[in-house]
Amino acid sequence: MAHVKVVRRSMRPEEWTDLRFGWLERGLILDREEIEDLQIRDARQVSENEYVFDDPDYRPLKKGDLYFTPDGTDFIRGHVRIPERMKGKQLYLHLSTAAEMIVKVNGKYAGGLDPNRERIDLNPFLQGDDLEIEIEAYNRSKPDDERNPMVLAKRGCRQIFEGAYLVTIRENLQSLIYDYILLMDIAGSEYFNEDYRHFLYKELSHALDAIDFDTWEGIDEAADYVQRVIYDNTDFKGSGDVALVGHSHLDIAYYWRRIHAVHKNARTILIQMRLMDRYPEFRYTHTQAYTYETLEKYYPELFEELKQKVAEGRFEPVGSMYVEPDCNIPQAESLVRQFLYGQHFFRRAFGKTLDNAWLPDVFGNSWIMPQIMKKSGVDYFVSNKMSTWNDTNRFPHNNFIWKGIDGSEVYACVPPTHFITWNMPSQIQENWEAYQDKETGGQTLSMYGYGDGGSGVTEEMLEMVRRFPKVSVMPKTEIMGGAEFLHRNLKGNTKLATWDGELYLEMHRGTFTTKSNIKKMNRMLEFSLRETEILRTLAMLGGMEYPADDIREAYKKVLLNQFHDILPGSHINPVYEDAMADYHEVDEKLCALKAALPMDGTLFNTLNTPRKLPVFVEKEDGQYVRHGKHGTWMQAEAEGLSSVTPCAMTGEEGWITIEQEEQGLHVVTAQADLHLRQDGSFASFRDCDLDREWVREGCGFNQLHLYADNPGVYDAWDILPNYKDVSYPLTIQEPLHVTCLDGSIAEMTVVFATEKSTWKMILRMIRGQRGIEVEHVVDWHEKHRLMKVNFGPDVVTRDVVCDTSAGMIRRDLTKNTTWQQARFEVCHHKWFDLSETGAGLAVINEGKYGLGLEGGEVSLSLLRSTIRPDIASDMGTHDFCYLIYPHAGDAVEGLVNQRALEYNVPLSPYAVKMPEALRSVLNASGLLLQAMKLSEDGSQIVIRLSEQDGRRTTVRFPFTVRVLNMLEDTEREASEVAVHPFEILTLGIDPDCLRA
Amino acid sequence: MQEYVENVLAPRLRGDGGWVEFVDCKDGVMTLVFRGECSKCHILDRCTRWMEEKIEQQFGEKVKIQAVRRKPYFWDVK
Repeated sequence: MAHVKVVRRSMRPEEWTDLRFGWLERGLILDREEIEDLQIRDARQVSENEYVFDDPDYRPLKKGDLYFTPDGTDFIRGHVRIPERMKGKQLYLHLSTAAEMIVKVNGKYAGGLDPNRERIDLNPFLQGDDLEIEIEAYNRSKPDDERNPMVLAKRGCRQIFEGAYLVTIRENLQSLIYDYILLMDIAGSEYFNEDYRHFLYKELSHALDAIDFDTWEGIDEAADYVQRVIYDNTDFKGSGDVALVGHSHLDIAYYWRRIHAVHKNARTILIQMRLMDRYPEFRYTHTQAYTYETLEKYYPELFEELKQKVAEGRFEPVGSMYVEPDCNIPQAESLVRQFLYGQHFFRRAFGKTLDNAWLPDVFGNSWIMPQIMKKSGVDYFVSNKMSTWNDTNRFPHNNFIWKGIDGSEVYACVPPTHFITWNMPSQIQENWEAYQDKETGGQTLSMYGYGDGGSGVTEEMLEMVRRFPKVSVMPKTEIMGGAEFLHRNLKGNTKLATWDGELYLEMHRGTFTTKSNIKKMNRMLEFSLRETEILRTLAMLGGMEYPADDIREAYKKVLLNQFHDILPGSHINPVYEDAMADYHEVDEKLCALKAALPMDGTLFNTLNTPRKLPVFVEKEDGQYVRHGKHGTWMQAEAEGLSSVTPCAMTGEEGWITIEQEEQGLHVVTAQADLHLRQDGSFASFRDCDLDREWVREGCGFNQLHLYADNPGVYDAWDILPNYKDVSYPLTIQEPLHVTCLDGSIAEMTVVFATEKSTWKMILRMIRGQRGIEVEHVVDWHEKHRLMKVNFGPDVVTRDVVCDTSAGMIRRDLTKNTTWQQARFEVCHHKWFDLSETGAGLAVINEGKYGLGLEGGEVSLSLLRSTIRPDIASDMGTHDFCYLIYPHAGDAVEGLVNQRALEYNVPLSPYAVKMPEALRSVLNASGLLLQAMKLSEDGSQIVIRLSEQDGRRTTVRFPFTVRVLNMLEDTEREASEVAVHPFEILTLGIDPDCLRA
Repeated sequence: MQEYVENVLAPRLRGDGGWVEFVDCKDGVMTLVFRGECSKCHILDRCTRWMEEKIEQQFGEKVKIQAVRRKPYFWDVK
């Protein structure tokens, strides 16, 4: 018999219940008085606390007027006299808006209004019969996370003012509405028992039958029915144990500039504190020392109140770090400073050292993290994305132990669901059902609260919590703080499984590449900060002042821009402009701090390893051009932490022969015999020293590929696994030809063009060097394109070794498992290496991070051209280099890491003196000097050393040193310190020891 | 007027994730291309009216803005 689909046209009983549930809102306001004396002034925020006003003064604001302007902040003020009929009653300010408003009443911070809350309790702020209202409002037009479709329809730069009112409400109806929000959510959710849901629909309908929707009689009867028939029914059972942690995720910059986060943060904190006034059981967690700093600076009154709430244990600082940074791209030292400056702030402000890292939204976490956390006083780690965003594999744990590259272990929680929820029963039940460690991990963590200026927890969410115990099918729920959850369920839990490896996010793989210039500047400044600290520390030993405040402020600005929607490139255009302005400001400041030092024509090597590579020294009349600057190549083979007088490279005729051949150029030096194609790729790379070929037949090597790059809405974030499906040919405008040739340097250049862009690739060879530098000079105007350069080396290996900035990680090249397949694009730092026993090939970069892994081939991701959130992302000129570096032995034997540091850390043209005792110890240590600075308390010199080759060693000092943690607290004193593989060691040395 | 749109008004739209490009202004009609968040904004007409007002305040001249939306492919995905 043919199946006939029945189209039902009459209303189902559930729909009738749902319809009347919606009607309940209509009766909520019992009485209202419009506030007619209102005035408004349009402005645009231009810094953290500065505004440019569009008009010289306020103008009247009436219901129906348009208000707000693009990127606008409005200031609204008003006055109302409480009518006689409302006196003595519970009064509220009622204002429906798509904006984010901070409201003061009679000079006091009363609360906040936004799409998620349209009412403020006025009674605590009443003084007589008159109310003075002041509102500071940032127009919210962000694109996501609102649950209410009405709000989505409202958003935009220009809003219609819907009026402001003094209101009284039917409190009993409000309570009944909360009952219905709770129970209707369960009734509509497939996460709950089907029979119970039928029961709910039936009984919720019966309860509504008691209400007259014209007179609003029968509310109490309906509430009584819900209590007796539904809440008191225990025939249906649920299970589970869920910890509810109030939280509001705050992107410091994203669809808004960081200057707007100051207001968003203050508003969020204000709203949470006002909720605490009404709900004594409520506890709330808040991250990022930076956000507390801005509150202290720009909203001191709120900060004082906050300190009280923190002292009471109700407002809980979590996270330990300065911001919630990207945890793939920042170097180890940057991550150390995130903790150092974050923890020192929390100590100063609240007298607390936090023991958790709270990073719900970051796009994966480097394997170097556990050690850095552990040595920064942090035993617990929370990050959500791997459980909810992985596109291929289900991350197998929620509550577990995370083991880092050096073997350090921290307790970790990857909660089963998103970090922004609105505490609905269905979300809690979903969390419990998705929780994979029910038998071993204790409770599961559910964060609740709107994010990003949605301002956290609402009254409704807390009313839900009070009702959860009444519902027999709900899991057991408990309000608690973040630290309490971690301590209670993870601490000492011997049943927890261990994850040993990086926490790779199978998503957002494009963020290793998007916004190339930001990543390049971040890399450059990370090393410039290192250089400045080392030079000024050494100068201090010679009697010069150490500019601690200047350096700290510069560092903090770089750390701020490592926020997980700035450094990864997932932000609107003004955020990019801000970041670049910050970077240039920091660069100028660091240059000025270094320029205060004397110069004597020598160059100082801040690395504690010897240098071998020639250096490019900028000179206006220099005959060579690199990175668009004239200069000259010089020999400067400095020992570690020593000065050297550079000398011009000696030329030699005939060191290279270059002949035109059919397919391109045949190039021969003492080190290499190359057959280069017209497109600059290598057809053959014969290594004369090692007597072997480096190019695998049939594979591209140094070959550019332009791919279609259409990941969808998450344009800046993602690269799809099928990105290679569509590629575009590059037109060769000028085939590879010689553009520079003398006794020291040879350059061969090829120029490509697409319809919109030009791309110049320069192959640079230097006499006596086995490495070949490739410079790309690009004028980039593509859309939805990804440019990669492929390397298919003739190396039999199943893994590629990648730099993490504090040790190396081996990543599989094979695609046997879904875990390997999902890692088709990974993050690396300064280099990657493919080696066989006896020899290998590395590619060393100066600011690239994305690396494609495809069988035996790898590809360095060079540029993307995404259009969301920033239409103009990566458009314009770029200039970047990498070094193709073949070597004997594996990556460690080939000193790849040392060469990569040389390639990224320039010699300093400043005359400083290194104490000999320290120099000899550091140079012989086998460890790398990661940082040298004056301690935060100014009492000692802090030296941070990093073991990056995976070997065990002992460092012996001729004097006693203090072994510190990364917060610069003394752990012990010693003159001999044993170091294990990939350990980062922090030492404190008395300056007088070195002066002596 | 083009400079005013590009240097004064456009940065403000960019602050909300929007993007506007000047095409031309002929016979009192200014054609602007809207991209980014503007391309799918439900209330773009309110914004263009505001731009018309600002232009009139600045130049004492009335223009009518003709908005051309360039919506990216991914906003069409259901």
